[in-house]
Amino acid sequence: MKLTRRSFVASTAATALIGLRPALAADEKVVRFGMPQDFTKIYTFVTAEYSQGQRDYFSLINGRGGVGGYKIVADVSDHANDLPRAIEAYERLKREGMVLCDPLSTPVARALVTRALEDKINLVTAFSGRSDAADGTVFPYVMPLSPNYWTQAGIIVDFFRQQDKDLKGKKIVLVHIDTPFGKEPIPIFKALSEKLGYTFETFPYTPPGNDQAAIWPQVRRAKPDWVVFWGAGVGQTTALSEAIRNGIPMDRMSSSVWISESDMEVVGKDATKGVLKFEPCASGRSPKIVADILKEVAGKGQGAGPEGKIGTAYYNYGVMMAAIMVEGVRVAASKAPDGPVTGPWLNAGLTAITDFTAEGLLPPMTVTSEDHQGGGKGRISRWDGTKFVPQTDWFSANQDVVWAEIKKSAESFKTTGK
Amino acid sequence: MDIGLLGELALTGALVGAMYGLVALGIVLIYKTSGTANFAQGAIAMMGAYVTWVFAAGIGLPMWLAIAAALIVMFGFGMLVERTMLRRMIGQPIIMVVMLTFGIELLLRGAVPGLLGSAVKRLSLGIPQAPVFLGDMLINRAYLIGGGVSAALIIAAIVLFNSRAGIIMRAVSDDQGASWSVGIRVERAIAVAWGLAAIAATAAGILWGSMQGVDWSLSLLLMKALAIAILGGLDSIPGVLIAAVIVGVCESLATGIIDPLIGGGTRDIVASVIIVITLMIRPYGLFGHEQIERV
Amino acid sequence: MFYRRAGIRHLDYRHERQLWPLPFDRLLVGIVVALALAAPFIVDRLYLVAYLLPWLIWSSAALGLNLLMGGAGQIHLGYGAVMAIGAYTGVHLVRFGAPLEIAMLVGGIASAVIGVVFGFAALRVKSLYLAMATIAMQYIVDFAITHIPGISGGGMASIVVPPVRFLGVRIEGELPTYYMALLVCALIALFLLNVNRTALGRALAAIREKDYAAEIIGIDTFKFKLLAFWTSSFIGGVVGSVLVVCYLRNVSPEQFDLDHSVQVLAMVIVGGLGSVLGSFFGAGLVLFAPIVFNNLIGFGTRLLGIELSTDLRAHLPLMLYGALIILFLLVEPLGLAKIYDNVRNYFLVWPFRTARR
Repeated sequence: MKLTRRSFVASTAATALIGLRPALAADEKVVRFGMPQDFTKIYTFVTAEYSQGQRDYFSLINGRGGVGGYKIVADVSDHANDLPRAIEAYERLKREGMVLCDPLSTPVARALVTRALEDKINLVTAFSGRSDAADGTVFPYVMPLSPNYWTQAGIIVDFFRQQDKDLKGKKIVLVHIDTPFGKEPIPIFKALSEKLGYTFETFPYTPPGNDQAAIWPQVRRAKPDWVVFWGAGVGQTTALSEAIRNGIPMDRMSSSVWISESDMEVVGKDATKGVLKFEPCASGRSPKIVADILKEVAGKGQGAGPEGKIGTAYYNYGVMMAAIMVEGVRVAASKAPDGPVTGPWLNAGLTAITDFTAEGLLPPMTVTSEDHQGGGKGRISRWDGTKFVPQTDWFSANQDVVWAEIKKSAESFKTTGK
Repeated sequence: MDIGLLGELALTGALVGAMYGLVALGIVLIYKTSGTANFAQGAIAMMGAYVTWVFAAGIGLPMWLAIAAALIVMFGFGMLVERTMLRRMIGQPIIMVVMLTFGIELLLRGAVPGLLGSAVKRLSLGIPQAPVFLGDMLINRAYLIGGGVSAALIIAAIVLFNSRAGIIMRAVSDDQGASWSVGIRVERAIAVAWGLAAIAATAAGILWGSMQGVDWSLSLLLMKALAIAILGGLDSIPGVLIAAVIVGVCESLATGIIDPLIGGGTRDIVASVIIVITLMIRPYGLFGHEQIERV
Repeated sequence: MFYRRAGIRHLDYRHERQLWPLPFDRLLVGIVVALALAAPFIVDRLYLVAYLLPWLIWSSAALGLNLLMGGAGQIHLGYGAVMAIGAYTGVHLVRFGAPLEIAMLVGGIASAVIGVVFGFAALRVKSLYLAMATIAMQYIVDFAITHIPGISGGGMASIVVPPVRFLGVRIEGELPTYYMALLVCALIALFLLNVNRTALGRALAAIREKDYAAEIIGIDTFKFKLLAFWTSSFIGGVVGSVLVVCYLRNVSPEQFDLDHSVQVLAMVIVGGLGSVLGSFFGAGLVLFAPIVFNNLIGFGTRLLGIELSTDLRAHLPLMLYGALIILFLLVEPLGLAKIYDNVRNYFLVWPFRTARR
C-alpha cells in the first residue's frame, strides 16, 4: 500500500482506537500483582533480569498449584520512568484489581506513594523509593521488604570495622552518582564517622557516570583506607575501570546492592578480583529455590528469559522479592482463606511474615506493621573472579543510627506531606 | 592546589575532550554540508558500538575486522538515513528537521537495545590496564589511545576537506544553488557527509563503549558534543579539535577545583555555561563563519 | 457539506471578525465544551484520571510554547525548565502557607522573569543557535534546582504537595483536580485564540516572518521578543504548578528534564505550529502513543500467541513512537491541525473539490 497521507492517517486513527481500550481481566481465584517497571530508560541494567526472576518464581509457584489456593498473576509493562505512563499503568492495573504494585523506580515510587496510601494498595519499593518507608506506622501501605540504603551503608561500615578491628583514624571515601539515590547514604556515613572516629569524604560524579576521569585521580590522592562506590549501571563499570587504572586496591572497595556479574564481566573478571558488595540474598544457582526454578520452569522451557541469566545477582533479587510477596499471600490466605482479595487483605499478610528465609535464599525476615523493612539483615560478599563468595554470615548492624534517620524523615512526611 | 593533580586533570581532560570531539566532528560535518543539526548523533554512536559488538561477539570476527565491518555498515546507514528521511525535508524550517532528528534518536534508542538486548555488553579493544606515568602524573592508557585516535581522525577530516572531495563539500556548504549550476552532485555530497558523520560517531561509540560497556547511555554523548561544536563553530572542523580540548580541560579542572567547594556535579554545567557564554559573546564560535542574512 | 457558508451575512465588522463565523464550527465548539464539562460523569474513572487530566495539562503547556514558537517564531528547547521553576515556586509558597491562587501566579511570574533572561539569548542569535542556548539553560536550571537544597528539598529531593484549596474548593480526588485543570486550560486556550487579533499577536507575527523588516516598519523587536518570552514563560510556570498540584502531587527535578522539553516541543510541532487545535492534537498523540502501543502490543501478542523477548517487548513502544513522529513529519509537516483542516476544507466545498497540493 502506498504511503499516502490518507492511508497513513487512516491507519493511525484505527490503531489508536483499538489501543485505547484497556485489557480486560479474567475471573478466577487469583491475586494480581502490578509490575510496571522501567525497561527502557534508566533502570535498564537491572529491570530485565529482576523481572525475569520475579516471573520465573511466579511460574514456579503457579506450576505447583498456587499458594493457599490462589494463583499469582503478574502484569508486567514498561513505564520508562515517565510519570504520566506510570500513573496510567497504575490506574489501569488498579482497575483490573491489583493489590500490590512494584514499580522498581525511585521517582515513580515517590509519585505513587500518596495514591497508594489513599487507594490502600501495597506499594513495594525494593531497595529503592523512600528509605523512610520502613516506618510502617507512617506508611502503612508502602513496603520496602528489603534492606534500604541506610541499612546497607550501616552494614558496609560495620564490615570495614570487623576487618580493621578499629576504624579510628582511618579514612572512608564515598564515590557516588550525583543524584538523590547517590546522596542517600551520606547521613548514615557521617553519623557513623562521628561514632566510630573515621574521616569521611565524598566524591560525586555527574550522572550517568560514564566519565569519571577527573574523579579517581582525586580519590587516589586522598589515599583512602576504604572506598565505597555508590552508582548504578554504567556508573559502576566506569568506576571500577577507573579505580583499576588508578591503582586503588580492589579488596578495599565495596558497592551497594547494585553490582552484578555482568558488570564484572564488562570490566574484566580477573581484574576486579576482591571487590566487595552488599548482598540481601544468596547469589548463584545453589539456593534451593533457584535450583527448583532451573528444574521445573526453565527445564520445561517456560522461563521468562535467557537461561544464562538465572542465578545472576539481579535475577536473584527478583526471586527474593517475589518470594516475599508470595509469602505475604500465603499468610494472608491462612488468616482469611476466602478473601476477598484486596489491598488490606494482602497487607495483613505482608505485615505478619515471620522468620521467612525462602528455603535458604534470604536471612530470616520478620515484617511487622511497624517495621516494613523486615529486619535489615544482609551480608558482604567478595568477587573471586567467577562468582561472589560470602564473607560473613547474615548480620544486621548500626540499626539504631538507621532507625533514628528513618524516624526523623518519616516525621517530616507526617507533618508536612500528609 | 596540587600542581601534579592539576596537570593530571588537565591532560586527562584534554584526552577525554578529544574523544567527545569525535562525536562533535559528525555534527559539524553534517551542518557544514546541509545546514542542519543532527540531534541523533549520540544515538548513531550507540548504534555503531552495538553493531561492532554484533560483529565481534555475535559473529565472532576478530576485533579489527569487526571494527572495519561496522564502519562500512554505519557509513551505509548514514547515507540511508539521509536518503530516506532528510531528503524529503529539504526546504522545511529548521525546527522540523531538528524534530525529525529527535525522532530518529528515539527510534534508534528503542530499536537497537530492543533488538540486541539492553544489558550492558562488553567491547574489548585489548588495551592493557597499566597506566602510563609522566613524572608524578598518571595517564590512563585507554584515554591516551582514545584521545590519540580521535585527534588523528579529526586531522584526517581536515586533510580530507582540502582534497578534491573536500572542496566539493565546501562548495555545497557555501551555496547549494551555485554548486548545482556548476555540475556538482549536491545530493551525493550531502549523503557522503552523512556517511562520514556516521563513521565518526561509530568510532566514538567504539572508544567509549570499550571503556564503559555498550548500552543505551552512549546516546548521552550528544550534549557534550553540542557544546564542543558550538564553541568551535558549527562549520569549522579545526575548531572541533581546539574546542574539544578546551571543553575537556575546563570540565576536568572544574570537577577537580570547584566540586570540592560546591559539593559536586559541576561537570555537566561547564558544558552548558560554555554554550551560553559562547552564544552571548561570539555566537558563531571561535572559528565559525558568520551567517549573513540577506534582506 | 456541514460547514455551510451560504446564508451567512455580516452586518458589522465585529460580526465578521468573530472567531468562528460558520455556525457549524460554533456547534462543534459547543459540543466539545459540553463534553469537557460533563466528562467526569460520562467517562470511566480510569480514562479521566490517566488520560483526560494529563492531556488537558500538557495541552496547556503546548499552547504556551505554541505562542512562542508558532506565534513569534522563536525556538525554545528549555520549556521543561520554565515549567519546573513555576512548579517549585508554587509548591514552596503553598507549603509556606500562601493560598494556591497566589502561589500559582507568583510561580508564573518567577518563570516569566527567568524566561525573559533566557529570552535575551534570542536577541543575539537565531534558530539553531537559539535552540542550543535554550538547551544549555535547561541544564543550568536543572543543576540549580538539584544542587540548592533550599529549592529541591534536600536529601529526599522530592517535595510532597500538601492539600490545598482553589477558589474555596479542596483540590483532592478526581472532580476538583479535573475541573481546575479544565479551567486553566480553557483560560489559556481563550487567550491563544484571541491573541492573533490583538496588537501583540500582529507584532509577533511580523517578527516571525522577518524580524528586521518588522524593525523597519517600526515594531520594537527587542520589546516584543522579550514580551513573547515573558508571556509564554508565565503560562509555562502556571501550567507547571497546575501539573504538580493536580496530577503528580509531588515535585522532583526529573519531572522537568530535557526529555520533557523535547516532548512539549514534539507536541507543538506534530500538532502544528501556531494552531490552538493542533496543540491539543499534538499533546494527545505524544502523550498517548507509547501507552496505546504498549496496550496494542500486549493485545497483539496475546491474540497471536507470540512470545517476544522482554527487551523487545519493552522497547517496541519507544521504537514505534519514534517512527510515528518521523512519519508524521515526513508525511504531513504542517502537523495534525493541517489534517483536520484538510478534512474541513473537503466538507466545506463538497461536492466540489479542493485544489490538489
